[in-house]
Amino acid sequence: MEKVWRGRWRGGRSERVKAFALIAKVSKSLRARSRAPSLCRHGLLKLTSPPRTCPLPAAALTAFVSSLNIYRFRSCFPAPFNSSSLRTPPALTMNADNRKGELVDLKSQLRQLAGSRQPGVEDIKRELYKKVISYMTIGIDVSSLFSEMVMCSATSDLVLKKMCYLYVGNYARGHPELALLTINFLQKDCHDDDPMIRGLALRSLCSLRVKNLVEYLVGPLRSGLKDGNGYVRTVAAMGVLKLYHIAPSQCTDNEFPAMLRALLLNDPDAQVVANCLCALQEIYAAEVNISPETALRDREHLLSKPVIYSLLNRIKDFTEWAQCLVLDMVSKYIPSDSDESFDMMNILEDRLQHTNSAVVLATIKVFLHLTISMADVHQQVYERIKAPLLTLVNSGSAEQTYAVLSHLHLLVLRAPALFSNDYKHFYCRYSDPTYVKKLKLEMLTAVANESNTYEIVTELSEYAANVDVAIARESIRAVGKIALQQYDVNAIVDRLLQFLEMEKDYVTAETLVLVKDLLRKYPQWSHDCIAVVGSVSSKAVTEPKAKAALIWMLGEYAYDMPDAPYILEGFVQNWTEENSAEVRLELLTAITKIFFKRPPESIKMLGAALSAGLADAHQDVHDRALLYYRLLQQGVEVAERVVNPAKQAVSVFADTQSSEIKDRIFDEFNSLSVVYQQPSYMFLDKEVRGPIELVEDTGLLPMGPTTTDDVLPSQLVDANDNDLLLGPSDKEDSIVAASNGSHAYNGPDLSGFDSLSAPQRSQSAAFPTPTPQVATTPAATSTSLLDFDDLLGLNTYDVSTPAPSSLKLKAKPSLDPQAFQRKWGQLAVASTVDHTLANVAALSTPQPLIRHMQANLVEVMASGGKAPTFKFFFYAQAADSPPTSGFFLVELIVNTSTASSQVKIKADDASLAPHFQELFLATLGSFGF
Amino acid sequence: MIRPLIFFFSFLLLLVSNSAEQGHEDRSGLAIMLHCVFILSDTGEIMLEKHWMGHQVDRSICAWFWKQAHPSERQETIQVPTVVAAPTYYVLHIVREGITFLACAKTEMPPLLGIEFLGRVADVLTEYLGGLNEDLVKDNFVIIYQLLDEMMDHGFPLTTEPSILKEMILPANLVSRVISVVTGTSTTLSSTLPSTTSSSVPWRASGIKHAKNEVYFDLVEEMDATVNKDGFLARCEVYGEVLGSSRLSGMPDVSLTFTNPSILNDVSFHPCVRIQAWESNQKLSFVPPDGSFKLMSYRIKNLKNTPIYVRPQFSSGGGVVTVTVMVGIRANVGKPVDNITLQLVLPPSVASSDLTANHGSVLPNHTTKVTTWTIGRIPKDKAPCLSGKLQLEAGLERLREYPTFLVGFKIMGVALSGLRSDRVDINRVDYSAYRGFRAVTRAGNYEIRS
Repeated sequence: MEKVWRGRWRGGRSERVKAFALIAKVSKSLRARSRAPSLCRHGLLKLTSPPRTCPLPAAALTAFVSSLNIYRFRSCFPAPFNSSSLRTPPALTMNADNRKGELVDLKSQLRQLAGSRQPGVEDIKRELYKKVISYMTIGIDVSSLFSEMVMCSATSDLVLKKMCYLYVGNYARGHPELALLTINFLQKDCHDDDPMIRGLALRSLCSLRVKNLVEYLVGPLRSGLKDGNGYVRTVAAMGVLKLYHIAPSQCTDNEFPAMLRALLLNDPDAQVVANCLCALQEIYAAEVNISPETALRDREHLLSKPVIYSLLNRIKDFTEWAQCLVLDMVSKYIPSDSDESFDMMNILEDRLQHTNSAVVLATIKVFLHLTISMADVHQQVYERIKAPLLTLVNSGSAEQTYAVLSHLHLLVLRAPALFSNDYKHFYCRYSDPTYVKKLKLEMLTAVANESNTYEIVTELSEYAANVDVAIARESIRAVGKIALQQYDVNAIVDRLLQFLEMEKDYVTAETLVLVKDLLRKYPQWSHDCIAVVGSVSSKAVTEPKAKAALIWMLGEYAYDMPDAPYILEGFVQNWTEENSAEVRLELLTAITKIFFKRPPESIKMLGAALSAGLADAHQDVHDRALLYYRLLQQGVEVAERVVNPAKQAVSVFADTQSSEIKDRIFDEFNSLSVVYQQPSYMFLDKEVRGPIELVEDTGLLPMGPTTTDDVLPSQLVDANDNDLLLGPSDKEDSIVAASNGSHAYNGPDLSGFDSLSAPQRSQSAAFPTPTPQVATTPAATSTSLLDFDDLLGLNTYDVSTPAPSSLKLKAKPSLDPQAFQRKWGQLAVASTVDHTLANVAALSTPQPLIRHMQANLVEVMASGGKAPTFKFFFYAQAADSPPTSGFFLVELIVNTSTASSQVKIKADDASLAPHFQELFLATLGSFGF
Repeated sequence: MIRPLIFFFSFLLLLVSNSAEQGHEDRSGLAIMLHCVFILSDTGEIMLEKHWMGHQVDRSICAWFWKQAHPSERQETIQVPTVVAAPTYYVLHIVREGITFLACAKTEMPPLLGIEFLGRVADVLTEYLGGLNEDLVKDNFVIIYQLLDEMMDHGFPLTTEPSILKEMILPANLVSRVISVVTGTSTTLSSTLPSTTSSSVPWRASGIKHAKNEVYFDLVEEMDATVNKDGFLARCEVYGEVLGSSRLSGMPDVSLTFTNPSILNDVSFHPCVRIQAWESNQKLSFVPPDGSFKLMSYRIKNLKNTPIYVRPQFSSGGGVVTVTVMVGIRANVGKPVDNITLQLVLPPSVASSDLTANHGSVLPNHTTKVTTWTIGRIPKDKAPCLSGKLQLEAGLERLREYPTFLVGFKIMGVALSGLRSDRVDINRVDYSAYRGFRAVTRAGNYEIRS
């Protein structure tokens, strides 16, 4: 280890020297005379000031600064510096010699002073030390002076000591052998008369972070914890934590946690208590992995009544940061009865008036937790915390505003009426960053109710003309969302129609999408809307979503819009130029629907659209055209029942986040996950925290290539109409998908539609004679489709990847959950692989991967998580092994956002594990990872 | 059937996550928070880094962040929220004066703690360096490094009170800089150690001595208001702060009362304020920190009027927009309204502008499309008026995006909300000290939409 460090050290140094060279060169060219040596001697101040104007500076500065960092922070990152492009200029050698000379000079001076007891010697020492420290901070390696520095440190001068500690702290970790030299004087200083010196020495001692010096630490730490001075105890408490990080067992063996616990309750100094709390919390959190039982018990002790009360009673003595720490812990405490809760709230009430927003939020968390089971008090708490929260939203920096708004958003989802009178606080300001504005729009949407809708919508309408296009779009969507909440729809529809008159492409686009949604919920407004929508020039609409919405409305309200077929005809003629499959799909549906309503005008267009659809390269478009074609073959009425059934108005639109997740975030109030708007387990599931929720088990999964043969399409349609959460295009898609699943694709017999084909209408004769292409394509493909069926990606589950190794897996391994759990507990991890995934977009739900793995004889035990993080437990069994052995257990964690996965394999027979790993990764790879 | 299974799996996963944690080198508990702070320039260059946890956080996280924050080259401001989840860390950031302060946390933590801390770092640096910009940071990174060392220990905030920090680390003032240039040394170590560490009042050192004892309070109010398209005052609030500046010896006990404290809607205090005294008799009673500090902040909601009005009018046709903007006093607040400015951000569809005013100066900036009209004080004899024409880009008939006006003003000597101080008392000391109190009102975010 030491060698590695040294290697890095040297590397860093040479980079630095080169950087100096470059700087010297730059300065030279700038100032037209060589002052490089003096520049370097005087340090950074001058060195960094000139660049900017000269041609070379950016690279030089970067290299210079990063090389300094390498030095100062003992970093091992390579400096972004191309050494080959530069030769060492003469100035450097001179400079280096100069410096070497100075160092030698310093060294001898220090050496002379070491034993001297003359009267003014301290002052000379001070000057020398200052020089050394200043060299050190600008990145000159003065570690060669280590022994002299230590020799001179035998002094009573506080300033000298402080500088010496700074020096030692900087070099000890990189020079463990030299650090040993310091132990003696640091230990001695730990017994000094001056508490400051004791404290500083102890802190330096603990910060050496050199493993083999730990034994020298125990004694001073022990006496430090018992020291009469609060400052020393404060340092010692943190020192215990530092010791724990270097050598956990040494720390616990010496009973340090127990000593901290005693101090926690009894120490008169609040900062000592805070540091003890901080150290203990972390030690216990880490200790859980080593001895879970004792650690959990200790943690419980930390949350016991006497501890909590002793902390609460002196909460005002703590610094603001320590208060946050205490409050965070208090929020985990469960009071025995409501009186206790009220007592605690009385003590903490004034914390809501702290200037530090972190303290305020931590207090609110405590309040919410204390009252969670007392409904009426909970409501009062909401009222009480409103004012401070609203102040925080509007008075601080944008960053604070964002973080607080995230919390407000959470609260308003729980108590929507809470901020309904304070909606003005969520009006966007011109200077707000986009991300704050977005959140404010969400808030405005969330707080809208009968009484304030008019004002809010008026405000939102002003944003529609905003210069910031993203915000303009969002605000129109917000108006739509409010409209869907059923408040004052009349006014809102007017607003939306005004948007259409603004004649701005993106405003029109967003509005069309919204009008479509509105019409699905409030069909009674169709008359007003259609009049305006009809006047929208279809050429002005370019965005696919808006186009699709417009086409949907044209198809749906063909009766009300006289020229609907002719507008659609224009779209059909431009079929090949239409890039978006979504639009083409919608167009097929709309034209088919128009055909049911106004057949004479649209029959030609339908033929053209279907033939274009069948020739379409996009699979979905092709499929849908084929489906409609065949439906129409069965009779127009049948087709109409499927394509254009009577619609119910949509009553509720789905929320994007499930209530379960909202609850979970609520538990994590005042945590990063609120701001990040994801429950934390989705991101950091390695942490020791509550169990991960699982969304399903094997019992609920469609197993293997089972399909929905027996589901009638009519039921599917009904189901889809009841399932009001889908957009119109989604709905049609799902019909197509369902039909695919039900083998409707397999041939012209359309077995799934039998029940519908009875009442054939005579008009079916009016169905246009298909063009030759239309007529032949289905016929030509239908036979071959049978063969291709499985290869088209519909039912590929039994296409297994050829096993790359000799290992064969059993076809139907059976392992019950208990056995899995037992095995997982018993077996050691055979291998852990971190895998980079090539294609992760493939995974939005766990099911596809599960099906894929099952097709490859790897069964799933459990799966969970939500995009972007999934967790799976798989198992498989080697072929020709007895029923109870030969199992492989796998834990797979996939993170789609970082494109990485982690595979952990355990095996009954560890020798087979590498083979299995190979097989498993190959299978994963064949999924598209 | 399903429920028990879910329970079982929960337990299983708990087990697994525990075992996964075993042998993991980084044992992070909940108490530990920030692993490191990076200070980035406005081009994303790492100017300074400080790690507290004994191990280094890879700098590549900054490059990752910068890429996330600036999805396209031309976006200058940071486009990501304050907290983002990087693959390995939570990344918190704040931006002050173009400088990005970035902190990494590995575990869950209270977000505002991180944001507040970073804000405090920025404040302390600003105070120490006399400003905040790239050159200042680079010139002084020795001192910044020392400050960061004192402000946080092992990932937990320690001393963030500027007055105490100043006892440990001398600010880089002109004198010390001159000395360092002359002598070639640059040490900023103070020759004494902070005595506050043993003081019973965490924000104040014991044994402070001043030759001249004085304490000043500044009541600073900012008015935030939005006037909507129809000319209605959509919202109007006042955010006020009482800033203290204390140079008092010993351990003085100061009390401050207002004549009309009941108008305050929401107040928050510096830790030194005794909240019980406030609640019982609306009196601010405290032992002040030495130096300058923010004593309290408050909010007053729903003001009915703004001191000045701005009436913009636009009429467009044929690709030309005629603009007139009138500004005048709406309500007399007792003192003159000064430093009135009007900023007009023209929409992108405006190709050129030609605006003149009958009072004050008009300064158009054609690259940023911001036109600034500096009015100053409103004259007695005429109403200031900005008028002129905007030329729209070819093909546009009418103006579709209307500009927003940002208004600035300043009123010395009066708090817009009407809050007034009653008296300042200093107790528990044997000297008489000079006491000062003054008020000022500024426009905060005062915007007028058109």
